[in-house]
This record gives sequence, C-alpha cells and structure tokens, in this order.
Amino acid sequence: MLAALLGLAGCAHEEPILIEDTKYFEGEMPADFSGFWARDYARSDNINTVLQNAAYEIGKRSGRVGPAGPMASERDMSRFMPLARLVELITRTDELTISQSEHEILVERRDDFSLMCAFFDGVAKPTDSPFGKETCGWDGDRLISLHELPDGLRVIHRFQISENRQQLRVITTATSNTAPMPFTISHYYWRIQKAPGKFECIETLSMKRVCSTGELEILR
Amino acid sequence: MSAKHRLAAASLTALVIAAISHSAMAQSTTSLVAATSDGTELNVTIPVFDPGIPDDPSVYRDMQVFPRIREIEAKLMPFLLRETLVESQQWGAVRVAIEPDTAAELQLFGTIVRSDGEWLDLRIRAVDAAGTAWFDKVFSSQANEEPGVGEGDTGTPEFQAIYTEIAAELAAFRDRMGNAAISNIKGTSLILYASELAPTAFSGYIEESEDGTLRLLRLPAREDPMLVRIETIRNTEFLITDTVDAKFREFNADLARTYRVWREYRRKIGGYEAWNVRFAEDKPDDSPRGSWESIKHLYDAYKYDRVTVQEQDRLAVAFNTEVTATVEAMETRVAELNDWVEQGSLEWNYLLEELYELETSMLEQGNP
Repeated sequence: MLAALLGLAGCAHEEPILIEDTKYFEGEMPADFSGFWARDYARSDNINTVLQNAAYEIGKRSGRVGPAGPMASERDMSRFMPLARLVELITRTDELTISQSEHEILVERRDDFSLMCAFFDGVAKPTDSPFGKETCGWDGDRLISLHELPDGLRVIHRFQISENRQQLRVITTATSNTAPMPFTISHYYWRIQKAPGKFECIETLSMKRVCSTGELEILR
Repeated sequence: MSAKHRLAAASLTALVIAAISHSAMAQSTTSLVAATSDGTELNVTIPVFDPGIPDDPSVYRDMQVFPRIREIEAKLMPFLLRETLVESQQWGAVRVAIEPDTAAELQLFGTIVRSDGEWLDLRIRAVDAAGTAWFDKVFSSQANEEPGVGEGDTGTPEFQAIYTEIAAELAAFRDRMGNAAISNIKGTSLILYASELAPTAFSGYIEESEDGTLRLLRLPAREDPMLVRIETIRNTEFLITDTVDAKFREFNADLARTYRVWREYRRKIGGYEAWNVRFAEDKPDDSPRGSWESIKHLYDAYKYDRVTVQEQDRLAVAFNTEVTATVEAMETRVAELNDWVEQGSLEWNYLLEELYELETSMLEQGNP
C-alpha cells in the first residue's frame, strides 16, 4: 500500500501543458481507470492549505514580504481567488464513475458534465465548440484532460492510478491570463465496489428508464 | 417438346409457383403489378437511402451523426417518399428495395445529407432505365409546427414538405416527356431485365449511345414465348419486392412512434443549443475580465454545452436500445427474402438460357 501511495505522490505543481506528443498512444490504452471511486478526504488537499501556500508563493515571486514572510498583495489575491473558487467548485464531486472501452474513457461526475476522452487509432479526438475545447492525452500512464475556454481560461485534470489499482489521484489545475499563477489541487479516491442492484435497468426513449428483476428484452 | 425441354419448363413453373406461395405466406397486402411495357405510368424503385455516414468515425460527434440512427432513417425515409408518390396517383407501382435495380423504369437514389431534427437535407438523384438523369439535387426542409395529437404515429409529418417537393419535381420532369419517351423507358427496362436473365436471347435489342444512355432498337413480339416467361418471372420477383415493401411498411409503423420521440428530443436539444448560445452571449455587464463572475460565466457556458452534447448521446443510446429488436427482426426477414430472390434469379437465368438453346436448336432443326 505504501508503495502505491508513494507512486502517486509528487506531481501537484507540475507545469500542466498538453504537448502534441501526449495525444497519441500505440496499442492498448496506457492505463485502465474503470470503476467506481469515492473521495479519500484524509489524503486529499485541503483548499485552505493550498490557498495559503499559493499566497506565500505569489508573494515570493513578487518579492513582497510581510511580518510572517512572503505574502501576496490584495490585488494579486483578488486576481487569484476566482481561479481558486473555480477549482473548488468543479472538484466538489466526491464520487467518480469511470467507464473505459478500447477507444473511449468517460468520467462521470456528480452535478457536473462528464469528462470524455475519445481516441481513434490511438489519436485523441478533441471536442470543439465556440464555448471551449476538450483535448485528451497521455503523459506516460497518466491521463490528461485539457479544457480550453475563451479568454485564456484553461482547466486541466490529470488522472493517475496506483499500481495496485485501488487508488486514484486526480490533480486539477486552472490557469488564466489574468491570474498571477495557476491554482492546483489534488484529490485522492478509493476504489469502491458497488453491489449489483436487484433490478436490471435499461434506458429507452419513449418509456424512459425500464427496470426488471429478470433479464430485460424489448419486444415488439 | 423434348423431355429435357419439358423438365426445364416444369422446373420454371415450379419455381414461379413456389415464389408466389412464398410471397403469399409472407402475407403481403400489396397486389401484383404487371411488368409489361404497356401504359404511360412509370414504375418507380426507391433503394434504401445512403445514410450519409462519414467514413471517419472521429467526426461523428462534430457532425452530430449517430450512425445506427442514420441507418434506420435510411430505411424509413424511402418509405415516406414512396407514400407521397403513391398518393399523388401519377406513378405506377412505387417500391422500396434493399438494393438498386439496374432494370428499374425509374429509380430514385437518396442520400441523407443532414438530419438533425430541425432540418432535413436529402440529395435525390432520379435516373430512368435508359440512363437519363432527370435531376440530381439536394432538397431541404425545416420541420414545420408540431402536428396535432393522434398524428404522431404516422411517421414524420413535420418533413412532409420535402417529399412533396421531390414528388412535384419528378412529376414536372415526367410531364415534359412525351409518351414515346415513356414507352422507350418502359421498353428499355423490360429488355434490360430480360437480357440479365437470358442474355443470349435479348442481346441486340438496345444500344448504348455516346453519352452513355441506352436506346431501344426494337421490341420482341408480344407473344414471344421467351418474353412471356420473362414477364412471368418479373411479376413474381415484383411480388417478392412487394413483400419486402410490406416489411418496410410494418417497420415504419413499428418505429414511427419511437423515431418521432427521438426527433422531438433532437428538436429540444436544438432549443437547448440556442439557449446555450444566448447564455454565452449574455455576459454580466459589470464583471471585469478575470473576475469570479466572468470566469464562472465562461465555465457555465462550457458546462451547459457539454451537458447538452452528452444528453444527446444518452438519448441516441436509449433510442438504439428501444428499436434494436425491431430493426434486427426486419433486417433478418428482408435478408431472407433477398437471398431467396438472388438464389431464384440464378436458377431462372440457367433455365431460361437452356430453354432458349433448346428452342433455337428445335427451330434450326425444323427450318434447315
């Protein structure tokens, strides 16, 4: 277990840039994230601690020192806080459901849209719209999901699974042209087993969700 | 008549009888339509449309193409066009077919260019048996107002305008043609069909012009025994086609309601997309760039867009789940009928060639 935890450590402040090479992979996907995941609050970052560290870092970079050491100016903090609020908002989900096929990875998040990475012949296929662009890629066995929004706003999620496949680490970073530095937060998730329900359900169009205790088959 | 000759003739009759019995068992409600070259009403064949699915699967999402649903639409839409042509009472038999028919009097090839619930764009190419292209154009129609309750199970009446426009274009072209041209098409069609089954007997009746179209040089006598057999076989084959056609009718009736729900959802999704655009444009006036309000607005616009796209994907899966059993049953039945026709054609071809050989040699023996 310790090895697994160590294996996940130490990438919270990496420069989150998706370079061209990371959009490709050959053969099978480098990692399998499929399963149900629940937030491990004990190991996940505390938002206040991350904020304090960031304020220190911004102060250090700007050379502004207060009585307790480097400290960000009010102006810098007012430009930085929106990013922090955004990351706090979009990482609130405490459960993830990840399904993975040969070509696609779908990360379902409660109260938010699903992250969707499609690869065709190992090449990531971005989804593009006037509202933003989602591009996926791999950095070794880490899955990267990059969201580029207007005004230079970017959100990056990095997924890494432990060697024993029981823990998942998700590092979320937001950057913008107006903030003095990126804001990054790291969350850990435990794999959970969901017992199969008593009902088998399928989604239909005209009858909505149809459930049965036996095997389901739509007959005409 | 020699023993071999009788045996061949008996086999042919048996095949024809078997074909009719087979069709009867299929409980076709359509009636036999004569294959003769008489009359001025052209028979129309509409092969299942090209679903217009891009070769590159990576663009499906961007183009909002759901391949399985497009394949179903490619089977439903020819039937709706057929119904419009039949109701116009300006055509002979109008049939939906799985495969193109090289000998069809008039054939309508369709490709779905766009079908997103709000808009339908169909490319239609009309070609007659002589090889003349009547037109090749894209018809476009926006969904009209939702029909009243009770009309929902009859297909997609919101797009009736497109089928009416195609029918009008066809009728206008046909009206500009003289009866001689129509007769030429019908005769060419019959000889094309005959020469496929008995090439030796029917070569030399048509010639190809420089522009690639076909010209009918002459027609065999009406009482030509070989032509009579050909017409019997063609009528039998039409019975099978009509049985396939009846399957399309059932298919349409089975799927119309679900397809209609899908189409309504697609339309609603279109409404959501329009709302998303308005939301994105409606930025808070007093929020400076980089502020919380500004960033939240940007992210929410993106989020709503992604949720809309994913909801549409979910609905497409739900649609497929609901109709899969119907589609598979229909495809299996049509494939069975198609196989049967193909097998029969091979045997008919062999028997007719053999009969022609026998008759020719008997004539030669009688008239040295």
